[in-house]
Amino acid sequence: MDPRFRLVGLFVLIFAYSFVSDFRLLGAMLIFTLMLFFISGLPARFIVQKLKLPSLIILVLVLILPFVSGQNTLLDLGFISLKQEGLHASGVIAARFLCIITTVMIVLHTAPLLTHVQAMRAMGLPWIMADMALLTGRYLEVLGCDLGRMQTAMRLRGLNASRPGLYMLRTRAWLCGSLLVRGLERADWVYRAMRLRGYGQNRTATLQFRATALDMAVLSAALLAAGTVMGLEIWFGL
Amino acid sequence: MNVESSSVLEAEDVSFAYPGNGGTLHDINLSIYSGEKVGIIGPNGAGKTTFFLLACGILRPVSGGVRLFQKPVTGREFNPQAALVFQRPDDQLFCPTVYEDVAFGPQNMGLDAKEVDRRTWEALKGVDAASLAERPVHHLSEGEKKMVSIATALAMHPGLIIYDEPSAALDIRTRRRLINLMPGSAETIIVASHDLELILEVCTRVILMDQGRIITQGDPAVIMGDADLMQAHGQEKPHSLIPHYYQHQH
Repeated sequence: MDPRFRLVGLFVLIFAYSFVSDFRLLGAMLIFTLMLFFISGLPARFIVQKLKLPSLIILVLVLILPFVSGQNTLLDLGFISLKQEGLHASGVIAARFLCIITTVMIVLHTAPLLTHVQAMRAMGLPWIMADMALLTGRYLEVLGCDLGRMQTAMRLRGLNASRPGLYMLRTRAWLCGSLLVRGLERADWVYRAMRLRGYGQNRTATLQFRATALDMAVLSAALLAAGTVMGLEIWFGL
Repeated sequence: MNVESSSVLEAEDVSFAYPGNGGTLHDINLSIYSGEKVGIIGPNGAGKTTFFLLACGILRPVSGGVRLFQKPVTGREFNPQAALVFQRPDDQLFCPTVYEDVAFGPQNMGLDAKEVDRRTWEALKGVDAASLAERPVHHLSEGEKKMVSIATALAMHPGLIIYDEPSAALDIRTRRRLINLMPGSAETIIVASHDLELILEVCTRVILMDQGRIITQGDPAVIMGDADLMQAHGQEKPHSLIPHYYQHQH
């Protein structure tokens, strides 16, 4: 599928998802996302793994909000009470988060990053931003590998990760500092290599994109779904 | 031979120092001619890599000047005629895939997509790495990365290729492929290496550097065969130049 259409479809869906707060529509959104997931053919374990870290961040908010936000008490436990508005907000945040992150993962992991960046470039994104996106994607993985190797080396020299207090804090700070310094040095050399190969000159694009009738149909379906969801949200809100 | 017209690289009284450091290079005078294969040897910190960065215009000399293909190097313009293969391939390769990395230089030269594609495949085939084209660069072995680094240089069709420690961290087979690749190439080559046997096999002239100065230059077998000279500058006479009790079979 033409990656430009995929990206447009993705942004439209994200916008629609972030607009919805009615529970009936949130349910429909979840079902739609589940359908997308099945169509993508990605393994469930892969998506669960990708969702794990961002979910941990949002989990704190989703767990705290029902107890601190709102006026109408649903359950009073004396020292703490469950609030209706907080519970609703938590549900909305969780559903939106799940739908948006899953859709992003599906779109990004069913084609190479390079193709997406080139598609963005074809849609008018300046070279510098396309390059930054590419280098970020590329070097995040490299830094992850470096971190893994350094942690292995530390373990081999007897690092006890369960040791509490300042020792681990200091060790982690050294690790981060070392990664940062290495990253900076590498960035300097990479920039030299890029300049030597003419970075900043007029560049020729390597990929030419061509949309098909299927691309148009899929994008139309995404636009229709997004429009319907937003229309219904307005309708239910009246 | 018209020396002036065939000069590829000329350095005149080049001196350089990194900020906060003493002098790194002192009064370097050097001429390299078209088609030459020149080796640069010397201990760590002799100034070999710094000289390469000056030659390509990445660094600017404190005094003196460098000329590439009879034009002064200012560091402002892109010169695809000169390519530098870095010591560590990880510093050189930055694109997500091998193909993209090799195509990067030709793309910046403003060539059309067809020509970029042709040069990219030609360079990849030249270093026997065509099968790696779609692979992510950071998943390659060190030897594969080194060969791809060389392909990134070859794809620009440079007149001069500078190799900084090309055989570092290579296994025997990849090192041999590299040595076989170099002498047959049409480009002028400058190689800095601690691998003295590689210099002996590839180069027609050797330059010995130490403490930022050129100590001497000349025939590789003569310079590197002088055990006292080599020892005085932290080097060793290559094994193949030492008389053997037992003759090699071939």
